[in-house]
Amino acid sequence: MTTPLLSIESLCVDYEQRRAGVFGSRTQTLRAVNGVSFELSEGETLGVVGETGCGKTSLGKAILQLLPLAAGRVVWRGMDLARADAKMLTGLRSELQIVFQDPLSSLNPRMPVGEIVAEPLRVHAAGMSARERQLAVSGMFERVGLRPEMTARYPNEFSSGQCQRISIARAMITRPKLLICDEPVSALDVSIQAQICNLLRELQRETGVAILFISHDLSVLRYMSHRVMVLYLGRLMEIAPRDVLFENPRHPYSRALIDAIPEPAPNANPLDRADPLPGEIPTALDPPSGCVFRTRCPIATPECAQTSPQTENVSESHHVACHHWRC
Amino acid sequence: MSALLEVRDLSVRFNVGDAELNAVRSLSFDVSEGECLGVVGESGAGKSQAFLAALGLLADNARARGSVRYRGREILNAPRRELDALRGRRMAMVFQDPLSGLTPTARIGHQLEESARRHLGMNARQARGKALEMLETVRLPDPRRCLALYPFELSGGMRQRVMIALGMICEPDLLIADEPTTALDVTIQAQILRLLGELQRDANTSIVLITHDLSVAAAFSDRIMILYNGRLVESGTTHEVFRSPKHPYTAGLLASLPSLTIDPASDLPTIPGQPPDAMKSVQGCAFAERCKHAMDRCWSERPVLAAPGAQHAAACHLLSA
Repeated sequence: MTTPLLSIESLCVDYEQRRAGVFGSRTQTLRAVNGVSFELSEGETLGVVGETGCGKTSLGKAILQLLPLAAGRVVWRGMDLARADAKMLTGLRSELQIVFQDPLSSLNPRMPVGEIVAEPLRVHAAGMSARERQLAVSGMFERVGLRPEMTARYPNEFSSGQCQRISIARAMITRPKLLICDEPVSALDVSIQAQICNLLRELQRETGVAILFISHDLSVLRYMSHRVMVLYLGRLMEIAPRDVLFENPRHPYSRALIDAIPEPAPNANPLDRADPLPGEIPTALDPPSGCVFRTRCPIATPECAQTSPQTENVSESHHVACHHWRC
Repeated sequence: MSALLEVRDLSVRFNVGDAELNAVRSLSFDVSEGECLGVVGESGAGKSQAFLAALGLLADNARARGSVRYRGREILNAPRRELDALRGRRMAMVFQDPLSGLTPTARIGHQLEESARRHLGMNARQARGKALEMLETVRLPDPRRCLALYPFELSGGMRQRVMIALGMICEPDLLIADEPTTALDVTIQAQILRLLGELQRDANTSIVLITHDLSVAAAFSDRIMILYNGRLVESGTTHEVFRSPKHPYTAGLLASLPSLTIDPASDLPTIPGQPPDAMKSVQGCAFAERCKHAMDRCWSERPVLAAPGAQHAAACHLLSA
């Protein structure tokens, strides 16, 4: 087997939370990502789904070394990123890019959008002449569906859909090998969402970029991903090829998420649907013992409170962390 | 079914500097007693402003014209005293962001009791009992303890339950829920939609669900209205609208949803362009610039809603071509 592009091994991310008290402050550790492992290949999209606090954004940031790792390794094309020095990391950033959820706030409001898109080239392709940069930017603008003469305008002159196109242009201009998309269409109008999804798919077909697509929306995720990973409270619940996960989910949380998707079909009365998952997501400061999902799980047993389930293989490409996946 | 709310020729304009923004453009529709009406549109379609106007809650720089009748009585631009007797008591609204809809410095119990005392004339003890009963109705865990909490101490889903309890405490005839689940996680969204459905069934309250999400509207409403650029472009029973959408905008929106039944291998059809600018006024059909069926007529002549009030109607020249 060839080396995967990206290999994540038992990744953990911690946040320190200081709580003020009468007798001085004390620090609590919140583990946002807990022992997550997966691999990503060239030209592949891995969808990451989960609800608030499942660690999906922290995971993306940790891969890019924007957050320190508490444990585990991020291996990029065979190299452990923790061993890379600052200079090497800067060089690698042209290969690893990110697109954020809020298109407007991730663009510098005081910079013309052409400059925003050209900036990665100034850093990563310092040998380029101004003329070459300009040509590259115009080409990129056209590629993402914006008119090249728009480069002199400022971000506030664009709609949110156009801003997201600009973010994608900025990310793709260095021809990255990995693009992390953190809820890239969640803030967009319905009619614009499909445009941006299709743009990302086209760019992947053309350049072979691998995409880590983070979203809370399973319908969008299904359309975008080759494989899907389900996270809950920082832990990996299930990872499987798209069709396997949607047609035959083994983890009760995956099943509940799929059942909770409202389908755009008439007569889908909420009272006729499967019972929604009860309760709320517990705080990551004090996660449940054993399996973190057990407090909301319809099939939890006493065993689930005692031991944390190991990730088991349903098949070579399908892994699940549940004591009862065989049920 | 008789009409609870009759909206006729409603327009809402904002003064923005020297310019005018038309948020709602001569909108007419009814809300019947005991029905669930889904109001769908993208940002700027006018879906929230239409209902804020009906309740007299518009911003200071906005003006509303036309007519809104509640049980036959004109309430648009009615004096504040008249509106105060209706708002909260007969018509209530639940907002997207429950944190900004609740007073941050008052305990949950106090906020519920205030409404019960003011609108239902209850004494302190009765109001406390009613508040507790409402928190039980919306299935808040540990309701007695919640009475003493402040809004920031609750999760988003629980806050939305409190907002719904606050909206329902006076058993209003009409509950307007403006994107009530947009800020929530999917499993919590499913819980809240079910709760609204149960309240509607048990109390026979009319519910207007304002949403940008066609799937949420489909999962919830008996009837649906699609707004575009401040106008009604299609309305009908949810079944009919989803089974055979008549307006190219509705059809385009439905086709562009990555639902669980599509084949992910083929590309999604998209609506080109972007939602129109509410500052500009269009002579013909506002959707023409994004419509693949646009004809000469669409640019010059505004289509009207054929057979308003019918089971299923749309404002499009294709239907009369």
